[in-house]
Amino acid sequence: MALPVLVADDSAMSRKLIIRAFPDDWDVVVHQAADGDEALAQAEAHQVRLMFLDLTMPGTDGFSVLTGIRERGLDVFVVVVSADVQPRAEEHAAELGAAAFLRKPLDADELRGLLAERGFV
Amino acid sequence: MTGVSFSAEQEDALQEVINVGMGQGGAALGAILDAYVTLSVPQVRIVSAGEVADHVEAMMARLPETDPSEVAAVRQAFFSSLRGESITFFGVHGCNALADLMGHEVPASEDAIDEELLMEVSNVLAGAMVNGVADQLATDFAFSAPTFMSRDESLRNLLTPETVGWRHALLVEVSFRVQERDFACHLALLMPEDSLERLRGELDRLLERL
Repeated sequence: MALPVLVADDSAMSRKLIIRAFPDDWDVVVHQAADGDEALAQAEAHQVRLMFLDLTMPGTDGFSVLTGIRERGLDVFVVVVSADVQPRAEEHAAELGAAAFLRKPLDADELRGLLAERGFV
Repeated sequence: MTGVSFSAEQEDALQEVINVGMGQGGAALGAILDAYVTLSVPQVRIVSAGEVADHVEAMMARLPETDPSEVAAVRQAFFSSLRGESITFFGVHGCNALADLMGHEVPASEDAIDEELLMEVSNVLAGAMVNGVADQLATDFAFSAPTFMSRDESLRNLLTPETVGWRHALLVEVSFRVQERDFACHLALLMPEDSLERLRGELDRLLERL
C-alpha cells in the first residue's frame, strides 16, 4: 500500500524541491500543506506516516506542529527541513519529537540517503 | 510598477531564497554570540524612493528604543551581477547586550556605542545572509567595508528620493532576536530596480530546474 506522505512548507518552491528529491518509483501518496494548521489537519485526515516539515512558517510554525502532533498522539516520522540551521534549532526540534533534521538549501542526495537509512525505501 | 513587479511564482521563489539566506545570517550571528537567534518570516516588498524612509523608520520603531537617536545603523554595499546595500539597525540597549554577549566591555555611558563592534557584527550578519542568497542564485557578491551611520544624521535625510539614486527598489526586512538576552537587530536589504530584471532572470532559472 502506498505510504501517505505530507510535505509542509509555506513556499511552493520548497515543497517542489522536496518532492523532486524523492526516489523514482517510490510508492507514496503525497499531500501538501502551506501552513502549520493545515499540516496538522492533513496529517490527521490522511493518517500521514512520514512528514517533511519546515520550521519558519507564518502563524503556526514547525515547532508548534511538532507539539501538536504529540498532543494529538499521531504516529508520524517527522523530518524537519529547515532554513534555521543553528544547532539549537535542531536540538529543540528533536526534543519536540522530530526524528531527523535536514538543512536548507536541501541536498537531494542527503534526503534519499536518510530515507534509505530509515527503511522508507 | 509593472517593470519592477514579480510573478506569484517568482515572489514565492524569492521569499524562499531570502528565508534560506536569513537562516545563514542567523547561524553566523548565533555562532559569534554563542546564543540562539530567533528568526521570523522576512518581509519582502517593492518600495518607491518616496516610501523607503517611512518603511525604515517603521522598522526602527519595532526596536525597544523609542527615540530614533537611540538607534545606530551600519550600512554596507554589495555588488556583482546584482547590486544593493544592507542597513543593520541596533538599539542602544541592544548594543550593550551585544557587547556583553561578546565579552566586550560595556560602555560606561548610557549613550556610548562600541562602533567597531557593531560594524563587525553587521559585517558577519549581512555577509552571511547575502552570500546565502547568492549561493542559491549561483552568483556571488563583493562587499564594500561597512560604514557607521552617525546618530546625528537623520536616516530620513539619507534616504530621500534625491540621494538614493533609484525610483523603485526591492526591500527585504529581517529581524534577529536573542530572547534570553533582550537583544534585537533588524536588517534591511535594498536592491534597486536595475538589478531586479536580473534577479527575475535568476529566479526563473531556479524555477526551471524544478
